[in-house]
Amino acid sequence: MSSERAAAAAAKILRYRGVTKRYGDFAALNGVDLDVHAGEVVCLIGPSGSGKSTLLRCTNALEAIDGGEIEFEGSALPREEAALRAVRRRMGMVFQSFELFPHLTALENVAEGPRTVLRAVREEAQRRAHAMLAKVGLSDKSASYPSALSGGQQQRVAIARALAMEPDVMLFDEPTSALDPETIGEVLSVMKALADEGMTMVVVTHEMSFARRVGDWVAVFDAGRIVEQGPPKQIFEAPTTERTRDFLSHLGWPA
Amino acid sequence: MDFDLSVIADHWRFLGYGVGVTIVLAAASGAASLALGLGIALARMFGPRWLRVPLVFYIDSMRAVPVLVVLVWTFFALPMLTGLTMPPFAAALIGLSVHLAAYAAEIVRAGVESVRPGQTRASLALGMSRAQILRRIVLPQAIVRMLPAFGSLLSVTIKDTAIASVIAVPELMRQSETLAGQSFQPIEVYSFAMLVYFLLLFPVTRGVDRLYRRVAHLGRS
Amino acid sequence: MTFDWSVVADHRAALVAATGTTILLTIATMAIAVPCGIVVAAVRLYAWPPLRAIAAAYVELFRNLPLILVVYWAFYVLPIATGLGLSPFATGLAALALNVTAYNAETFRAGLGSIRRGQLEAAMALGMSRRQALRRVILPQAVRRILPVLASTWVSLFKDTSLVSVIAVGELAYVAMQIRAQTFRVLEMLTAMAVIYWLLGYPQAKLVDWIQRRYAVTE
Repeated sequence: MSSERAAAAAAKILRYRGVTKRYGDFAALNGVDLDVHAGEVVCLIGPSGSGKSTLLRCTNALEAIDGGEIEFEGSALPREEAALRAVRRRMGMVFQSFELFPHLTALENVAEGPRTVLRAVREEAQRRAHAMLAKVGLSDKSASYPSALSGGQQQRVAIARALAMEPDVMLFDEPTSALDPETIGEVLSVMKALADEGMTMVVVTHEMSFARRVGDWVAVFDAGRIVEQGPPKQIFEAPTTERTRDFLSHLGWPA
Repeated sequence: MDFDLSVIADHWRFLGYGVGVTIVLAAASGAASLALGLGIALARMFGPRWLRVPLVFYIDSMRAVPVLVVLVWTFFALPMLTGLTMPPFAAALIGLSVHLAAYAAEIVRAGVESVRPGQTRASLALGMSRAQILRRIVLPQAIVRMLPAFGSLLSVTIKDTAIASVIAVPELMRQSETLAGQSFQPIEVYSFAMLVYFLLLFPVTRGVDRLYRRVAHLGRS
Repeated sequence: MTFDWSVVADHRAALVAATGTTILLTIATMAIAVPCGIVVAAVRLYAWPPLRAIAAAYVELFRNLPLILVVYWAFYVLPIATGLGLSPFATGLAALALNVTAYNAETFRAGLGSIRRGQLEAAMALGMSRRQALRRVILPQAVRRILPVLASTWVSLFKDTSLVSVIAVGELAYVAMQIRAQTFRVLEMLTAMAVIYWLLGYPQAKLVDWIQRRYAVTE
């Protein structure tokens, strides 16, 4: 992993500089600096409300930032809607609440992006959808509606839906927080397999063992800024800041 | 078009009487339909099997027939069958209560069914009787869920009292009709009636909207 | 007291025609009130704030008035307001349409608003435009929520057509009561009127139940 990382080190997929975001009086993001390189898995950890999800949602412009800049593949995020849509096509997002479209089957959900956004023909969209569902291990559920699927299965379909767009980066917003413990594992394996293939990923998570094993870089958030960032070995075994130590000990880490 | 409100001022007692009758009729039929509806719902859910079919038939029939028809039939046709004459107010009270009780029964049924079955099971495990469970565990939870729907029903009740004008009950609608006919100023009189009804109903529908929002997060326990 | 039920059979042609008028009134009202309701709901959700306030006021007004009063008021005000001599049918239709449009607007607005924000976000995260998201994701779900309520409104409307009888529109209630007045067969005609409404209304109520079961939304 580290040799691949060195080779691709020059390619920055995402670059955040001094990003700020306010909701009224509340500063959700207070100056965030972070780089995400090609093929890297960056994990954002920290207490609830510290700004991790907000940063993710600003990345694909679901929310607008108030200050600083976000660069994607070398250019600043555009302001104009049509250009933003083009950017969003190259990013995949997976939500905590899955957000599958309930009126469509699993196959139709995964095919929806290629059909409507990429204007693929129905056969081509379905072919891609079948391939993505197979990739996440749910070929047998392609004709099922979301209400018939477990949480873990729904989330895997959601990952397939994002992958069908062939994105350059995958954004995961607490993908396993709404899942039963039994199904968390199946989703994390899919994510690990993706990481092993070299997908660039930004993951907001509370699953510390995932961040430790799969992450290449970990950023610890607190009150809207990153208090410490570095390789997992450093963050989890030899944290340099008080806040990080406090946060980890509150989680009972190491278990 | 000149708008002469003096007709309202001159006859405020006459119209005020109508408002009073409206309120009394609404309150009385509201209370009666509530009691009747509760009884019907409980009889349907927990009573003898053979009662269920006629009760469901009654409920569905009241949903099928207009209030106007029920009131007119109660006032004009029922006396021919029973041989008793009925004053308009009584006919309206009976007609409205019987009609609205069907809706009240459905609200009670939905409310009780929305309480998780686990609640009943847990109470049974504690050794409570069915009657105790209903009274102390299920109904109190169900009532909260029923409140918004009952608020809506109250709103409907007040509006339906206006239909009683057709059988000459001297509520506000009827009084307005009479005054409009006598004074030849229908626009002023009916506009005033609209204002009064709006002032009566607006707080109720507002309150219902608020209740629906509060209750929305409850779902199934 | 003797009852002569043949009076119902004697006047069956008139009753059938009157029933037709009732059905026509229901269909015509919905044909107006559905598109108008969509427009009002759209104004309430998306238009310039002063227009939104007017739309909201319109909806609040008609939710809080008895329909029978609206019918009377329309009868006296509409000729003066529009300068046209409107037939009782047209007046009745106008009053019903004004009323049902308000209820429909509320139904459409609530239906659209009940779709979780996350659905819109997931659609946009895929790169869809707002319009695409509305058409492919939001509206299909909203329709499922709206249809049962609309069905219920239809049945209420069907019953409410009886109220335009007070301004002498020739629908079922009016015609039945006219025949009663002419023949003095009170019990027979009023019972026949109730039975006819029941025969039409009961299946409609059952249909609404079926629609509500079929489109029950499970989150």
